[in-house]
Amino acid sequence: MSIEIQSVAKRFGNFVALDNVDLKVETGELLALLGPSGCGKTTLLRIIAGLETPDAGQIRFHGEDATGTHVRERQVGFVFQHYALFRHMTVFENVAFGLRVRPRQTRPPEAEIRRRVHELLELVQLDWLADRYPAQLSGGQRQRIALARALAVEPKVLLLDEPFGALDTKVRKELRRWLKRLHNEVHVTSVFVTHDQEEALEVADRVVVMNKGKIEQVGTPEQVYDTPATPFVYQFLGDVNLFHSRVHGGFAEVGEHAGAEGVVAYVRPHDIELLREPAALTLPATLDHIRAIGPVVRLELRLDNGDPVEAELSREAYADKRYLAGERLHIRPRTAQNFVEDYTI
Amino acid sequence: MRFRQASVLPGFGLAFGYTVFYLGLVVLLPLSALIIKTSSLTFDRFWEVVTAERVMAAYQLTFGASFVAALINLFAGLLVAWVLTRYRFPGKRLVDALVDLPFALPTAVAGIALTTLYAPNGLIGEWLAPLGVQVAFKPLGVVVALTFIGLPFVVRTVQPVLQELEAELEEAAACLGASRWQTFGKVILPTVLPALMTGFTLAFARAIGEYGSVIFIAGNIPLESEIVPLLIIGKLEQYDYAGATAIASVMLLISFGLIFVINLIQWWHGRRHGMRK
Amino acid sequence: MHSLHSSKRSGATDEPAWVRWLLTVAALVFLAFFLLLPLAAVFTEALRKGWDLYWEALKEPEALSAIKLTLIITAIAVPLNLVFGVAASWAIAKFDFKGKSLLITLIDLPFSVSPVVAGLIYVLVFGAQGWLGPWLAEHDIKIIFAVPGMVLATVFVTFPFVARELIPLMEAQGTDEEQAALVLGASGWQTFWKVTLPNIKWGLLYGVILSNARAMGEFGAVSVVSGHIRGLTNTVPLHVEILYNEYNFVAAFACASILALLALVTLAVKTWVEWRSERQMAAEQAVVHDH
Repeated sequence: MSIEIQSVAKRFGNFVALDNVDLKVETGELLALLGPSGCGKTTLLRIIAGLETPDAGQIRFHGEDATGTHVRERQVGFVFQHYALFRHMTVFENVAFGLRVRPRQTRPPEAEIRRRVHELLELVQLDWLADRYPAQLSGGQRQRIALARALAVEPKVLLLDEPFGALDTKVRKELRRWLKRLHNEVHVTSVFVTHDQEEALEVADRVVVMNKGKIEQVGTPEQVYDTPATPFVYQFLGDVNLFHSRVHGGFAEVGEHAGAEGVVAYVRPHDIELLREPAALTLPATLDHIRAIGPVVRLELRLDNGDPVEAELSREAYADKRYLAGERLHIRPRTAQNFVEDYTI
Repeated sequence: MRFRQASVLPGFGLAFGYTVFYLGLVVLLPLSALIIKTSSLTFDRFWEVVTAERVMAAYQLTFGASFVAALINLFAGLLVAWVLTRYRFPGKRLVDALVDLPFALPTAVAGIALTTLYAPNGLIGEWLAPLGVQVAFKPLGVVVALTFIGLPFVVRTVQPVLQELEAELEEAAACLGASRWQTFGKVILPTVLPALMTGFTLAFARAIGEYGSVIFIAGNIPLESEIVPLLIIGKLEQYDYAGATAIASVMLLISFGLIFVINLIQWWHGRRHGMRK
Repeated sequence: MHSLHSSKRSGATDEPAWVRWLLTVAALVFLAFFLLLPLAAVFTEALRKGWDLYWEALKEPEALSAIKLTLIITAIAVPLNLVFGVAASWAIAKFDFKGKSLLITLIDLPFSVSPVVAGLIYVLVFGAQGWLGPWLAEHDIKIIFAVPGMVLATVFVTFPFVARELIPLMEAQGTDEEQAALVLGASGWQTFWKVTLPNIKWGLLYGVILSNARAMGEFGAVSVVSGHIRGLTNTVPLHVEILYNEYNFVAAFACASILALLALVTLAVKTWVEWRSERQMAAEQAVVHDH
């Protein structure tokens, strides 16, 4: 089931949550909506689900217009940020809910419901918790039950709102991998919302980066990370050094737009090359601090005009060179992406 | 474990001592007088008093009317709480404040006002009389007065629960294909049920003991529209202290039972569904 | 504002408009019949024969003495329970000890006891045939069928109001601020006056308003211990009963209208206090979010 979003707009009062958004979700893919809070990603997810109605535009499920279809009839699975488990029902009853509320003609017989629920609980590896109440589960368990409940109605699309937002770091990592595996098994078209770039890059087939109600870029994790389409995407996905042509001269002219006025070069810390001797297109800098965090070593440098620059090396490369704090170095970008300066930022 | 956990704050001894002393003096000591007085009766005498025909009729009326009134309040209270938390309409704040009127209006005032309205020549009674319905001076009048008295209990216990109910729960039900009516019956109602039951029990308990608002509208006809508290006063006026005490002790026992029930509801609910965050 | 829309809910979980209208109208009709009409009836009956007779009824010496007695009883009973409420909530909310929930249940007890039973128990202790009856008679002290008994009965029925408002409030506030004050060198009393009291003032006011309303309006319990001596042991509610039973409806409703006005003032102050504390809480949360 593919989902097409065609020029969808939504405002809340004066706040523009979505500004003419177009997007196509391919059948069977796992798509991440990534962006800072207030960028409209959750609103878009809720509009796909039918929990909000767009002010303008269309939602098409497999080519068919679903904009006016009520959430009940859309057959979407939705996993809420805080799970929204029914606390007066056991885990079993929670998962069975979607089957039990069907009209009599389409409701499966009791034995079938039992079989299906246990199958799903096995899928999320929590069959042994069937008789517990949500209050007796850990956060990670609740999250998986919420997923099983959403899958019980055999949804055409699965929508997840910040699925790992309320969990602690360790459980989060585990569940991420688990979700990826689960998606490979069930293969239902899935969209999840996150503000965590690492999560989006690690789990999704494709990532949609959003900002201020607009889509900035759509692409595979590699595409959005390595070739960001806009300055926003560059800055949102990882650390970046900015070099302005006005200030840093020819240094900023490594990529396209070379020679143009008012160009900014975006360089990731691991793309900063450090030299002990000056060369063509280098800038002198002083090494201030050295921090070894895990497998990488971070170097904080300062240009002569006071601008800070961050560089990143592997431990081996650092061990090789043995830079010292206070040392004079010359920096050069290996690759950079240039954008014409936006004076509003 | 020690009686009290250590704390750096001062004043526990004084505050706790005064609390227990005052509670004992004003509440517990006089209440124990009732129990001691009752136990001075022989059981046969006690049984004779509390099972007399007139007393039994009064119990029947008091409990029956209290139950019906609490039941009316269960539905009306849920309706009012629902409308006040879910919908917006002009004057809502005012209506919300008005719900507490039965708490604030002296019972005697409520009693004479309701009697005037529901008497056969009253504003509402006039309309009901041609239909053959008489409210004032009949058991129905007792129900009306007790409904008035009990209304805020259900509204005020249910309202906060409805307010805190996460919108996500209802959205989850809708996503899973539940109709609005199914969502109400299977998700919302079970969540507010403990509050509803607590409100019902509170309204019922209050109605059983109610005196001021009822005696004007009830007509107080023995064996027909005479409530238990009125019987106690009647016995007192005839200086039949033993009789009054016996009947009162039964009322007190029932009050204790109802407090127990409320605590049980809350304990049961808290144990099973208290969500750990 | 004037459209009958549900607040902060998405269209997906809203009822159809006709259901919303139907439920709202049903609720308002019920409230109009059960709450608004009785309230309106009090005032229309009181003014049925015009303002002159209304004033006349209120200027009766017996009415005036009933008002005076009601004020005296309230002025004694409410402060007594205020002090108790503060002490009880300090002990219960700020400390942990065994049997706390039993103590709370016992404090709530007077709410569940019938007012008539409340009056009766004092008759059993202080009445002519009660425990202390003979001793009191010997020393010529009158409690039952006199003002002291009425004060006691009023204290009983308004017993839990202040404590019940303060306990949850003080529990929610915890003891951090008090501990900070003590660390800064404040004495116990200073901590209470300068830290605790300002934090609980709205809850305290709320509790006082409620017990005040109940104290002035109490009927059953006071009726049992008063003896109904005209001009001496009649409070306003008791006076209303006597006038009503004498078919003096205008005077009965005139006195009742004072009590109804009191109820309206109570509701107004209560709503105002709720509004104040809501705003204060919202402001505090806004500050937290800003940082």
